[in-house]
Amino acid sequence: MIRIGYIIIGIAVLCFSSGAASALERFPPPEFEGGYEFPSTTTPHPQQDIYEYMDTVVLLAALSLASYLVLRKRSRRAIFILMVFSLLYFGFWRKGCVCPIGATQNIVLSIFDHSYAVPVAVAFFFLLPLVFALFFGRVFCAAVCPLGAIQDLVLLRPVSVPSWLESGLRLFAYVYLAAAVLFAATGSAFLICRYDPFVAFFRLNGNLNVLIIGTCLLVISVFIGRPYCRFICPYGILLRQLSRLSKWRVTITPDECVQCRLCEDSCPYGAIRRPSVSWPETEYGRGKKRLAILLVLLPILIILCGWSGSGLRKVTSRMHPTVRLAERIYLEDTGKVEDTTDASLAFRATGKETEALYREALNIRANFGLGGWFFGGFVGLMIGLKLITVSIWRQRTDYEAGRASCLACGRCFKYCPMEHARLNKTKEALV
Amino acid sequence: MESNTDNTSQNTETTSTWYRSAVKTAIVCAVFSLIVLTFFVINYIQFRIIDANWEIQSLNLKKEFGQNLDDEQLLAKIRQLDLEFRQRRIRRLDFSRKGGYLLLGSVVIMLIAIKSADTFKKKLPAPQVLGNKDDEQLIQAKFSRWAVAAGLAVLGSGALILAMGTDIDFGGTNAVISTSYPSFEQVSQNWPAFRGPEGNGIVDFNDIPDSWNGKSGDGILWKTKIPLHGNNSPVVWEDRVFLSGGDPNELKVFCFDSVSGKLLWTGEVESPHLKNEEEPFEVMEDTGFASPTLVTDGRRVYAIFVTGDIGAFDFNGKNIWTKSLGIPDSSYGYASSLAMYRNLVLIQFDQGGPEDGISKMIALDGLTGQTVWETKRPVPNSWSSPIVTKIGEQFQLITCGDPWVIAYDPAKGTELWRVNCLYGDVAPSAIYANGLVFVIEPDATLFAIRADGQGDVTKTHIAWENDEWGPNICSPVSNGELVFMLASEGLIACYKNSDGTKLYEQDLRENFMASPTLVGDKLYLLTEDGVMFIIQAGPEYKELTKCELGEKCYASPAFVDGRIYIRGLEHLYCIGNNASE
Repeated sequence: MIRIGYIIIGIAVLCFSSGAASALERFPPPEFEGGYEFPSTTTPHPQQDIYEYMDTVVLLAALSLASYLVLRKRSRRAIFILMVFSLLYFGFWRKGCVCPIGATQNIVLSIFDHSYAVPVAVAFFFLLPLVFALFFGRVFCAAVCPLGAIQDLVLLRPVSVPSWLESGLRLFAYVYLAAAVLFAATGSAFLICRYDPFVAFFRLNGNLNVLIIGTCLLVISVFIGRPYCRFICPYGILLRQLSRLSKWRVTITPDECVQCRLCEDSCPYGAIRRPSVSWPETEYGRGKKRLAILLVLLPILIILCGWSGSGLRKVTSRMHPTVRLAERIYLEDTGKVEDTTDASLAFRATGKETEALYREALNIRANFGLGGWFFGGFVGLMIGLKLITVSIWRQRTDYEAGRASCLACGRCFKYCPMEHARLNKTKEALV
Repeated sequence: MESNTDNTSQNTETTSTWYRSAVKTAIVCAVFSLIVLTFFVINYIQFRIIDANWEIQSLNLKKEFGQNLDDEQLLAKIRQLDLEFRQRRIRRLDFSRKGGYLLLGSVVIMLIAIKSADTFKKKLPAPQVLGNKDDEQLIQAKFSRWAVAAGLAVLGSGALILAMGTDIDFGGTNAVISTSYPSFEQVSQNWPAFRGPEGNGIVDFNDIPDSWNGKSGDGILWKTKIPLHGNNSPVVWEDRVFLSGGDPNELKVFCFDSVSGKLLWTGEVESPHLKNEEEPFEVMEDTGFASPTLVTDGRRVYAIFVTGDIGAFDFNGKNIWTKSLGIPDSSYGYASSLAMYRNLVLIQFDQGGPEDGISKMIALDGLTGQTVWETKRPVPNSWSSPIVTKIGEQFQLITCGDPWVIAYDPAKGTELWRVNCLYGDVAPSAIYANGLVFVIEPDATLFAIRADGQGDVTKTHIAWENDEWGPNICSPVSNGELVFMLASEGLIACYKNSDGTKLYEQDLRENFMASPTLVGDKLYLLTEDGVMFIIQAGPEYKELTKCELGEKCYASPAFVDGRIYIRGLEHLYCIGNNASE
């Protein structure tokens, strides 16, 4: 009994003292005249970390469900509903962060900067859609990506983009991916996050320039299906390549293609490939010669683009804050500019040597010089491969969804008479 | 049939009604969205233009107030303006937020309406007339190639335009680098590192004192208490003498005035490894926290400690950068001194066992502390210090470890040559004299290696070896004709440079931790008890004199222009020729 008494007294003393402690401000507030009211103290939500894990679980569930809906259920309506959910959850509720597109940069930075640790949730966000693409195609784009979803929702009057134009426009995505990797690897900037065109909509707040870019993209999306996904998205490049290897993927028809051509114009993303016969004899010799030239050109293109990328180091390195600051300080010190900036004033207040800053900037530039070779080389490689792939004759017997370009939205399903037959059979079986 | 027709027309009519409603809803929402958007734009323009004027006005008033601090009316006006400005800004932000929700809501309803309208008036698929599929594919492929080529041209043009922009080279890369390190001549006139400018223990000054007495004070110019214990040697640059010290609580760098001996400043290197109550860092008592000797380039001084923490300070004591390499896995505690080449601080970071593969040579930029190069070393922990010495027209960074003597290009860290000849706990450093690099296998062998090799030159470049014995702590010294070795137990021996023939061996019956130094034709040998033996650097042993300091000494002294700086256990001594003073 005595022991219980001690415990009760101990708890009471603790409660009393903690109550008194919480009632005290760490510093006494100043006394304002004029009836000023102090805002209530806010503290960070402890559940913030839990959200990250919850997001990962939701992502995994959404990807699994999307795979089921695309490959088994083959229901555009269900895919659409899941897409709206993803937009609301990952977009408007979780404010578009973390997203797999931006997570690419975290992964790159962690590879090049060993002091940077990638949060587990971010690593999962990067990897899960890629793993799913490897098995089931671009199900992430279909119904989980909020950026894709917002564009998909505003698609009202689809206009088809000629495939040749699409080939040219897609180069931008390769350049964007290479630039994002270069800037992340050098610790300069997270380009993808900085210029995420839709995050301002999700947060109802943001940089005006980005907001304008986002609005323009949405207006374009009314007529051209998912322009960001098709021509800009750097993560889409990775998904495209993995999707080519996917074990299971979207098929327009659940059975044999009857070549009715009803699905021909059903895809707003230009992902349906028409049947074609073997290489025409008249074109065969010329085509082979062209292919040989392009194969020889490939390494030249890689070296040339790599050299250009490295040569641009003075420009590209300006994305790094240290280089920008060093250049600013140099311009001020040499009298080429008369005013000062907050950054230059702050630097001078530290009393650090400008020489050290210049040296650091030169080192960063040298890193950009090396990184520029990879940046340019990658772009050159992709351009060369693109030229080669468009020069290879594709032989198809049926209408097919493009392995890389199909976003698995499921719009084409209902255009196929065989799909209607399948649904009727299912209905009959159920009856 | 009639009733069916009626139903169909009724259905069509109902659908048509829904369609019309959807279209009207969409139009209403579109108009509403446009109105909200217009207000948005107006709000933004006001925010950017009108409010900006308010801000300028407020700043001007504040500037005015700065010149007239007693003007209460002006102060009240500023406060009022500031309050109004903030209220307006908050109102605008509030307007934007609410407007954002309204716009989002109206756009969502509009989209639903348009989608619904589409559903009510569905178009059936109507495939186009089929053309020649082959021709179509050929044309598409051709156009695609042109489109990609056009994209490449656009990218190339963009790159060209960007490359033509402003070019800022900070006054030239060479200018930035050349001003940041001293010339070879400047280095030679000082004592910037362990055992002198090139780490060979050779003094270029002739007026070095050879007579003093610590007890009577004869020849002692000044004596200053060292605040913290350490075994590192003094380094000297012009009128500054630097030392470091450490204990379980702090790691410090000390700068003394070489003229007065006054402690000018103390710099602290923050270490994440100290003050850790859960896992207190322990070090062998003999090694202590500050055994590695500092290095200076005349602009900054750099110090490394047993914890693997490095600090750089300018000559006014300001901490320029610090870096932690992590606690080195060293059985007696880390003790290798730093070396310097141009702007690079060179760290022989040998640690762990032979199979661990964690030893490396690191070069840090003295200005920034950034790693310039790193080279893995195939050796376990060692206590030897690297030297940077001029061999022919080239500088070589020479290191000793078990079993390799490795020479690197100090600018890039690329390996020049290596010799497999050492074994055990390697502590003596290499020296270079007259075309030969001398290294010591502790307690065993003295090796002379020709320094002009490339790759593994074990079989070809060992000029000679003498396996009678070898010191385990003190490094050798050579005048180009003779090489001298000093054992901790007091044995000194002299060998011919040319073939390793032993000329003499003498037991001094003293203990030594400091390495011998060559001053002209004399050798300075400092005992643990603080007695300096000055002997002739000749083929025969001849003691010239002995000078007592009266304090224990473990560090090698520094010799600069008429002075010797000796670190005692507790004091730093400056010995000088009174006449020359």
